[in-house]
Amino acid sequence: MDIGQPKRIIEIEPVTLPVPGEVVPDADPAPHPDREPTPARPEQRVP
Amino acid sequence: MKPHGTTLDGLPTDVASEPIIAWRVWALTGRRDGSDLLLRPVARRARTWQPRQVVEASCRSSRWHEAPEPLCTCGLHGTHGIEVLRKTKGPAVLGRVALWGRVIEHQHGFRAQFAYPQRLRLICQFCFWTTGARREAPRHVGWFPRGEMMPICDEHLAVARRHDVFPRSLVTADEVAQRLRDIYAVDALAI
Repeated sequence: MDIGQPKRIIEIEPVTLPVPGEVVPDADPAPHPDREPTPARPEQRVP
Repeated sequence: MKPHGTTLDGLPTDVASEPIIAWRVWALTGRRDGSDLLLRPVARRARTWQPRQVVEASCRSSRWHEAPEPLCTCGLHGTHGIEVLRKTKGPAVLGRVALWGRVIEHQHGFRAQFAYPQRLRLICQFCFWTTGARREAPRHVGWFPRGEMMPICDEHLAVARRHDVFPRSLVTADEVAQRLRDIYAVDALAI
């Protein structure tokens, strides 16, 4: 099969992999939908 | 897509976050009852595509470069259109394939580092060669020694019979197509 001459290179890092059940290893975990946001600790609060 | 620069080969490079969806054909192997189906590149010595696993390219010509390499022919191939695939030897499955990682775009297709099928359809290779992909889906899948599965329409099955090239067993194409989609967890390709 002849696909002709190369034209360009594309570096593709998909946000989600197009493979059933696979996840991108470096992706941030999604927040749990039922979980309350964690309150900031007292020393982190802005006065 | 963001322009990124140029390589040592003078090819421009871009960066993207969505896989490219291209056309591709595969050969098909399995047992004579239509179980243990696996997609296989039409190049006979190439490795099978394992279900639910990312397929990663490697180069059989050189261990010294990663696939795909601009000056080689290695990588997982996909095409812009169907027509260029009609010259392929022994296609059994036509489909859409997702390509990502390092992808080299050519005039008529792509060579990629990673791939996985997205939509699949069985094709009668004789109909595909003569009239393209828009014919009716084949009704049978013939099984040949060494596990080669050949989807075939009624008309070409009759021709094969007349020439004594008859499969060792036949299974229903609809059943094989459904099983193949379940194994790879993909959708049917509608044309």
